[in-house]
Amino acid sequence: MYILTKEGKKYLEKGLPERRLVEFLRSGKKTIEKARQLEDFAIAIQWAKKNNWVMAVQGEIELIKEPEDYPEETALKAVSDGRQINEKTASILINRRLIEKEREDIVKVAKKSVGKEITNLTPELIKTGLWKEVKLKPYNVGAVGRKVYPGKRQPYLQFVSQIKKKLVELGFKEMGGPLIETEFWNFDALYQPQNHPARSWAATYQLKEPKYGSIDKNIASRVGKAHEKGIAGGKGWGYRWDPKKAMQLMPRAHGTCLSARTLAGKPDIPGKYFAIARCYRPDVIDATHLIEFNHAEGIVIDESLTLRSLLGILEMFAREITGAKKVKFFPDYYPFTEPSVQLSAKHPEMGWIEFGGSGIFREELTKPLGIDAPVIAWGLGIDRLAMFKLGIEDIRYLFSSDLKWLRETKMVI
Amino acid sequence: MPTVEFYLKDLQRLMKKKVTAKELEELILYAKGEVESVEGDLIKVDIKDTNRPDLWSVEGIARELRTHIGKAIPKYKIRKSKFRMVVDKKVERVRAKTVGAVVKGLHFDNYFIKQIIQLQEKIHQTYGGNRNFAAIGVYDFDRIKFPIRYTTVKPDGIKFVPLEAEEAMTPREILKKHPCGRDYGHLINKYPEYPLMIDSKKNVLSIPPIINSSYTGKITEKTKNVFIEITGHEIDRISVALNVLVTALAERGGKIYSMAIKYPDKKIIRPDLKPLKFILDPDYCRRVIGIDIDNRDIIKLLKNSGCNARPGKKIIVEYPAYRNDIMHQRDIIEDIAIAYDYNKIKPEFPELVTLGAASRLESFCDTVRELMVGLGFQEIMTFSLTNEDNLFKKMELPAQAVCKISNPVSLNWTVLRNQLLPSMIEFLSNNLHIDYPQKIFEIGDSVVLDSKEETKTKTMKKLSCVMTDNRTSYESIASLLDALMVNLGLKYELKEASHKSFIPGRAAAIIVNNKPVGIIGEVHPQVLNNWGLEKPVVGFELDINKIFEMVK
Repeated sequence: MYILTKEGKKYLEKGLPERRLVEFLRSGKKTIEKARQLEDFAIAIQWAKKNNWVMAVQGEIELIKEPEDYPEETALKAVSDGRQINEKTASILINRRLIEKEREDIVKVAKKSVGKEITNLTPELIKTGLWKEVKLKPYNVGAVGRKVYPGKRQPYLQFVSQIKKKLVELGFKEMGGPLIETEFWNFDALYQPQNHPARSWAATYQLKEPKYGSIDKNIASRVGKAHEKGIAGGKGWGYRWDPKKAMQLMPRAHGTCLSARTLAGKPDIPGKYFAIARCYRPDVIDATHLIEFNHAEGIVIDESLTLRSLLGILEMFAREITGAKKVKFFPDYYPFTEPSVQLSAKHPEMGWIEFGGSGIFREELTKPLGIDAPVIAWGLGIDRLAMFKLGIEDIRYLFSSDLKWLRETKMVI
Repeated sequence: MPTVEFYLKDLQRLMKKKVTAKELEELILYAKGEVESVEGDLIKVDIKDTNRPDLWSVEGIARELRTHIGKAIPKYKIRKSKFRMVVDKKVERVRAKTVGAVVKGLHFDNYFIKQIIQLQEKIHQTYGGNRNFAAIGVYDFDRIKFPIRYTTVKPDGIKFVPLEAEEAMTPREILKKHPCGRDYGHLINKYPEYPLMIDSKKNVLSIPPIINSSYTGKITEKTKNVFIEITGHEIDRISVALNVLVTALAERGGKIYSMAIKYPDKKIIRPDLKPLKFILDPDYCRRVIGIDIDNRDIIKLLKNSGCNARPGKKIIVEYPAYRNDIMHQRDIIEDIAIAYDYNKIKPEFPELVTLGAASRLESFCDTVRELMVGLGFQEIMTFSLTNEDNLFKKMELPAQAVCKISNPVSLNWTVLRNQLLPSMIEFLSNNLHIDYPQKIFEIGDSVVLDSKEETKTKTMKKLSCVMTDNRTSYESIASLLDALMVNLGLKYELKEASHKSFIPGRAAAIIVNNKPVGIIGEVHPQVLNNWGLEKPVVGFELDINKIFEMVK
């Protein structure tokens, strides 16, 4: 059996809020502000709309259908008279908190458990206070329940997110760009000559479909000239630069093309930029090689930069990202930087690790892209660090297709 | 990156200093190298600089390290000779240039021969662009009658026994049957006549850039004197390679003899080891390195890196003729910084005021990831390279135009994906026996063709997710999509769609602002069969770029 709640009693007396709204609107449409002054307006509009009785358009409410009857009201009257009502209407009224189960019923349910040892604590026992008169059976609290797997980040990507956050904290802005590049941005704009072995078939992928992209004529002619005859006091590579070759499309081989695009796109000076970019390289996949990988790299641009500042930046990366207190610098080679530096950092647990490559972009690279200030370019070997943190020795696990491993590997903390 | 193999004892002899393997590990860094392995006396070193062939031999490494530790810069004496090469006009179209030299007084043993072959191969591969830009021939001087003629020959115009062969072959046969012919034949096979190096007794030296003759072109422990020729397309490029070779031999006591190379229009004398000049602005040098050193220091440091220098307001630097890498002051400045020692420069973090920021699209992706994780999905990361079988056939889709790789390393990786769903299904197929339910997602890149774009393609970020269990329903994935969309503040509709990867009547296009932004549905059992899956799969894929434009 049910009884009326306080609200139920009020509605029985005043009529349901939606009935009051309908009656209010019978004389024509009203502005919402005006209607809002009705008591229980929020409830009224909700139910009247649900029943398609009223419509609100441009700040006005209009009666569009006169209800035939109000079954909930009839039911309220029935409950008040102690008569039965059907289950469907009862559940609506319970939901609207207009009626509730008679207290005796709850007590009856709860009383069944009195004096017994029970497993489940029920709402009836809690509401009636009869929990005091039952014994709650102790559990084997040491038991581990059924295995559950949380929704979870991919461990390597989670690590990458942390690196990104760190770089943003250090004042770097994220760069973006297309996965498919012209050789121009991938190589030529980086002053890598067209006959360089790194541009051979064995070293990079090329596309057969689509085959050629387009290049900006102005930038291309400046870059071509730098290759052919040199620029900024340099001799150049001394060969005939072929714009057609530069238009050949390829999946990008490194993230440095993003730096080149950024430089050509009027960057902030001083400016710091980074990208963690998916790159491609034709290789046989094994424990140490992948055909797809992520390059973390970026640039710093300012009039004041020197090799000394480059070492300062590398030292900061080593300290902030690997936690190293000691660093060492070694000469290195990249076709697009001079001088070039390799960073080794002493990781507290891993010992000395090669952690980055960097250099000052050659002027033959920066000048044709319209940049006069020195530009420091850096790249970080985050994959090895990730492998260490994730406790893996096989680089393929960075792209793991092993669901069990993904579920069970702990988060990088 | 060239790898050089040698005995430590040999390096010590050439360096005139007993460095240990341990010391070498540090020292080699100044030649931009790295010790790759030490097995007893045998050392393998990787040289990173692909622009310095002079460092791709133990002789060159020893020379570099010797000057680095303060020993004198070597002076190589060149003796004049009457030896001549004559270049025929006919070679112009095929392989236009050659240079050569004679080195006498060598004491070859097995190891030394291997060293020379090693250097030759390194130059061929990297600097020579697989013999295209530079191909080297080394011959037993005492079996050759000068002058040498560099000319061309018809494919069947001559017969000789090439190296590593038993019988005489014509050039045509060599290109067809000999391993070197098969590897490098493409460099000449399109021409009516092939390059030929021949002596005045009509003994064949070689078919450049393919193979030497076995009689003249074989170096043995009995060889005392050698003739070296290099062919290619540019005189400067092959001259540097020649300098690298002859000075390496001179490091082992060889005496270098120059020779005249007579072209139809000019005569040149090679090798030319006269140092080359470059003008260095010391102020610019200080500005690049960022340290306070005076001109005298700069000159001293230049000596340590093998360059002589004359003082002045601008410093005139003389660098050795076997170096290929100097094309800007910066290249010399790096040598100065290396000689100074990077680790003696005090690092200084530049205090620049810049505002850090993640890309807005990437930040949006992170928000979506957070929601997907909250909805109970495991994030995965898959390759964006795949093949058309996985992308279309196994998904029951008609083939579409996608980005195709022209030089795939395997048939598994031939195209860039244009959707992520196949990657998700493939992942499930690798985890048939792992606990169910399985719920996975990825936000990753796909590539679609777009002729309006500069790169004729567009990189599109997509969210793809699937779930599988003994029982699963369209309704369950639809309610997860709903939860995602509500939390992204996106009002959407689902419109029944026909999509071959899904069961008819159980797939819908996801529409926002009247634009399709994705697809949702229950995967077709034929697709499940194609992938060997045994449980029903539901999922959806959303175009992140499109919905990002709508929410930002």
